[in-house]
Amino acid sequence: MNPSSSTTQIFADRLRAARELRQLKQDELAKRAGFQASAISHFETGTRKPSFENLRRLADALQVTTDYLLGRVDDPTGLSGADTLHRHFNLLTSDDREIAESFLKMLADKARGRTKTGE
Amino acid sequence: MKDSDPYILASMAGEKAVKERGITSLPIDPIQIARDLGITVIPKPAESKGVSGMLLRNGDEYGIAYATHIKNVGFQHFSVAHELGHFLLPGHVDAVLGSSHVHESRAGFTSGERFEMEADHFAAGFLMPKSLFVPAMRSAGDGLSAIESLKTRCSTSLTATAIRFTQCTLDPMAIVVSTGVQIDYCFMSKALKEVDGIDWIRKRAYLPKNSATYAFNQDSDRVQCSEKAEDTSDLQDWFGGPHRIEIMEEVIGLGSYGKTLTVLTASNLPDPEDVEEEDQLIDSWTPRFR
Repeated sequence: MNPSSSTTQIFADRLRAARELRQLKQDELAKRAGFQASAISHFETGTRKPSFENLRRLADALQVTTDYLLGRVDDPTGLSGADTLHRHFNLLTSDDREIAESFLKMLADKARGRTKTGE
Repeated sequence: MKDSDPYILASMAGEKAVKERGITSLPIDPIQIARDLGITVIPKPAESKGVSGMLLRNGDEYGIAYATHIKNVGFQHFSVAHELGHFLLPGHVDAVLGSSHVHESRAGFTSGERFEMEADHFAAGFLMPKSLFVPAMRSAGDGLSAIESLKTRCSTSLTATAIRFTQCTLDPMAIVVSTGVQIDYCFMSKALKEVDGIDWIRKRAYLPKNSATYAFNQDSDRVQCSEKAEDTSDLQDWFGGPHRIEIMEEVIGLGSYGKTLTVLTASNLPDPEDVEEEDQLIDSWTPRFR
């Protein structure tokens, strides 16, 4: 199976599921997330691939996590567990690995803080 | 020569990102814009070499770490803008993260990977959008001095500015980045590509031995010290073609980067009709053995 098309399909399915969970029509979600009305339909049929920025806007508007939209967790508000690193991680210098690991930890703390304060 | 830019959409996405934010003046600060987008941006320690930038994600939090071992604001801006490209371009989600949460980059038009090239072209369009860059070009003149002036105006690296210059100029010119006797890459303007019989310069092709760049690169100190040189050269020596046409060759060492930038400007291209007449004239005087 092509992993890329698989990820695209998972996102399309999760987006539809989250929209239905929040009982929103496509045009209502588009308005909330700042997209044109047709964009949600394109995402849900897999004809448009999202950017990270799109994912974040959709996640915010649907009050679900990006990890849920990417199929990494089944709980709509859940975060995925321990971070796994890039497939080219072994090619990074040891300095870069340390920087990436400590930066990810900082972002994890920030994400947890955001969840606690309900932002 | 076929003229198509496979990365035009990525460049345009970079320009659109600037326009949407209502930015109307240069330079464009990618670090501030990333922070405005809610991305945490940190410099890597100066002693840390390695990748030029990394895009990281944890949950809904995003971060960009950028290299500072090269003391060049332009290089750093380009690295951050490149990572912003991965964040804003559609389809990069699968490509840059795969099953993980970190993506590392080597920005600067040297990677052959499609998504890395897209991010580079996004960065160029973002830092030097045509709507602001082209008017600035008009007052900058031409050749290397214009590129240097625009580099200062845009807070970009000399190489990135030179590449953007070739994409936006109406004049026949090219830029070549080389190391030692070999060419790393070349960008040609649209007007130069349209010259009859011109060939692409291939990566890792050899520099013309009679060029100023070839002589310049024999002395690595000149490259390291960012010295300059200039001379006239011949279009045919660089790009082939049926005619010998004098061009201007300006050379500058890129310092610790260890490479050399050459700007080739062909300001005296003959009119195609004149060339045809000359060809006919030569043909008429060429003896034939029948």
